[in-house]
Amino acid sequence: MGTGARRVGALPAAAVAAALAGFAACLVGAIVGGAAIDVPWAPTLDLRLDLALDGLGSLYALLATGIGAAVFAYAAAYVPRHLEHEERPASEQRRFWPWMVLFMASMVGLACARDLVLLFVFFDLTAVASYFLIGFDRHRRAARGAALMALLVTGVSAVAMLIGAVLLQAEYGTFSVPELAERAEATTNTIVAAALIAVAALAKSAQVPLHFWLPRAMAAPTPVSAYLHSAAMVAAGVLVIGRVHPLIAESDIVLDGLLVVGGTSILVGGLLALAQDELKQILAHSTISQYGYVVLLYGIGGPEAAGAAAFYVLAHAIAKSALFMTAGAVTLATDESRLSRLGGLGRDMPLLAAASGVAAATLAALPLTVGFFKDELLFTAAAGDGTGTAVMAVLAAALTFAYIGRFWLGLFTGTRRTEPHRVPALLIAPVGALAALAVAGGLVAAPFARLAEDAGTVTNGAPVALSPAYHLEASTENLMALAAWALGGLLLAAPALRAPLVSALSRAGDVAGPRRLYGAALQGLNRLSDRLHGAEVRDLRTSLAAAMLPGGVLLGIALVATPTQGTYVVGAVQTSDLPVIALLVLTVLAGVAVTRDPGRLRPVLSLSVLGFALAGVYALAGAPDIALVAVVVETMLTLVFVGIFAGLPRRADDRADDRAGGVGRPSPRRRRRNVLFGTVAGLGAFVTVWAALSRPTPDAPVAAELVRRTPEAHGGDVVTVILADFRALDTMVEISVLAVALLGVVSLLRRGRLW
Amino acid sequence: VTIILRLLAPRVLGPALMVGLALVVKGYTDVGDGFAAGVIVALAVGLRYVVLGTERTEATLPLVRWAPQIALCGLLVSLAVCFAGVAFGDPPFTHVPGPGETVATIGTLELSTPVLFDLGVFLLVAGALTTVLHHLALLREGRT
Repeated sequence: MGTGARRVGALPAAAVAAALAGFAACLVGAIVGGAAIDVPWAPTLDLRLDLALDGLGSLYALLATGIGAAVFAYAAAYVPRHLEHEERPASEQRRFWPWMVLFMASMVGLACARDLVLLFVFFDLTAVASYFLIGFDRHRRAARGAALMALLVTGVSAVAMLIGAVLLQAEYGTFSVPELAERAEATTNTIVAAALIAVAALAKSAQVPLHFWLPRAMAAPTPVSAYLHSAAMVAAGVLVIGRVHPLIAESDIVLDGLLVVGGTSILVGGLLALAQDELKQILAHSTISQYGYVVLLYGIGGPEAAGAAAFYVLAHAIAKSALFMTAGAVTLATDESRLSRLGGLGRDMPLLAAASGVAAATLAALPLTVGFFKDELLFTAAAGDGTGTAVMAVLAAALTFAYIGRFWLGLFTGTRRTEPHRVPALLIAPVGALAALAVAGGLVAAPFARLAEDAGTVTNGAPVALSPAYHLEASTENLMALAAWALGGLLLAAPALRAPLVSALSRAGDVAGPRRLYGAALQGLNRLSDRLHGAEVRDLRTSLAAAMLPGGVLLGIALVATPTQGTYVVGAVQTSDLPVIALLVLTVLAGVAVTRDPGRLRPVLSLSVLGFALAGVYALAGAPDIALVAVVVETMLTLVFVGIFAGLPRRADDRADDRAGGVGRPSPRRRRRNVLFGTVAGLGAFVTVWAALSRPTPDAPVAAELVRRTPEAHGGDVVTVILADFRALDTMVEISVLAVALLGVVSLLRRGRLW
Repeated sequence: VTIILRLLAPRVLGPALMVGLALVVKGYTDVGDGFAAGVIVALAVGLRYVVLGTERTEATLPLVRWAPQIALCGLLVSLAVCFAGVAFGDPPFTHVPGPGETVATIGTLELSTPVLFDLGVFLLVAGALTTVLHHLALLREGRT
């Protein structure tokens, strides 16, 4: 190991320690019955730092830290090998661990957040962390594309959540979820808001039709996938639904929508999982299907379903993270990631086979694992909802049984196709630990059930009682489970039965799936932006036109029609207006000169004439402060422009332009167009400034109030007092921007050297 | 670069500093504020850069070397004024002395936290602009 490796060596240990400490803290918190902080950090905007380790918070925080600890330990062994395999320096681990810890922290924050705005912030933080983690192999185009896709799909739809939050706040005057749950009524506004929040959550949980980002996200290193699928990112969506469920439950339409989306996701994810060859793709599609179960349960609603959903998330997280780590360990051992090239590994890796067998059994809901109870609770809730939902649940369980059976049997039984080499114990131990947890839950389900009960109570808004147990009798749940296993076994044993359906579905998805739509939208946006950029940066004049033309047009529109205010009236020109008019004419002339001159220096000088003339107008209009700032800024800009131009190679590009017959001497048509544009912008600015300066009465009572209070603030100059006192926070933010801009200049010009 | 500029550039810094300082001192009771003062000082320095070149400017003005630190200092002063109130349980930017209380003055300089804040703005603007000028000057001379 090089020195780089030794220097980053402490990072994994620190991350695992942080996860374990967080887990211990959450466990203590959950046992003593929760904890909460509520700090109103911006009371005028009704923003509160309202975090509570309640039932739902405990469940997801324990998952995020507990699964986090297992995955981090696994990653400590995985990531260095991954980097070595990719021939990258070990120091690149620095790009991994901080994001991983941020991922965990934002997930814990999301679990505990009870304020919609806070929820949104943590929601987006998980998206940001996932962006950097999915794109960890940033030299690969696929990884970059997948990271961007995950960020866009989940981030853009998260805006729907913010809109929903604002709608709710407008109606009920609070962002707090518990308060909203108390006050909410089934108004249209509430239903729309709940539906918007649900859309954001469903996109995050990769539900159809916004599921396509998840399989692509498999470009991430395996530990990231394991975490993202079980306890972070994807779980965040159903967590939000669980949190705002009282609002969603106001409307049957939204609940039915959840039922449909969940059911469709189960089928699409499950069937596509049967068709995949890549190990991680099987598991990715399985995740879509599994969270479909949870969404289905939330769509059913009521105490049983709420508790069952929480239990399902818990059991699934344990199984899915173990299965992902299995896939990663197998791939590291064999350099193969496709099921068709693997097999018979059970003899070489018996421990891994046993541990992942337990995990697979958990997902397939076999007895003696905690998974059995997840399906038992699912069947209870589904059977209570109606025959259709019950059939759906059996079908879902059968699909799960089939694809996960195919995964495990394909890996560990049959003939050996690829020889594995040894893998370190740390890659197998976390799988074993999770498998042991799954078996423990299968024997004693009570602690798991209590966690799920508490979480379900928050979701349901009323106490939830779960009593998962083995009943050796012909109960509905047991019959449904038997039916599911039988059907699943049939699907598994008879590939010919499923092949036509599955391949038809994946073809349909390729041809008309939402991923195509996403690609087309992205390409269209890119082309538009390229065209705008190309037009803007062609030369100095087009850059100026890019600012002046839209400005002129917008101002023109404002002059013609301003719905909120009265229309502009051209008043009589008085003698005192004449200097102002003269200066404004000067600005127009300077504006026209800018567009006519093909050189470099003269447009800039014309621009500064324009600026100075405006400064003069300000001085005449009784705004000496603004005039002073305008003058000094204008001088500075001119100086900098002159300084930069003096350093440019003399006329080199102009000669090149002449040869190309292009920009240097514009065609008469373009010239006319430039003059037209310049005139429009100049006249627009003229009329606006004139109108603003000759406004008969100040219509802003705020301004009068500020003037009145200035002596009270020990000031003589209103503008300065506004800057340093009344609106000091704005000033603070603005000068911080200046400091950040300075850092930007420094890092662009001197690679971060301050001097 | 004309002879006038060559004569003027080295001599204009003193008056510029004076004007800048006056703007900060008088700012609260008269036209002007920290931002304008900072830009004026940076302008004077910038003029030297244009006329004298980087090396001579920085040889004759050793303080320029500390421009980034001055900017940082200004940012810290402003932030301190911003959050000092928070430590005492007040909202950010609770200025001392409060409305109605008397202000100690030295001449026209009022000893109050808004003026301190303005001073922070001045230092930040002057320092940041000078740093940028330095880098642009190096860039021009091809010494990146």
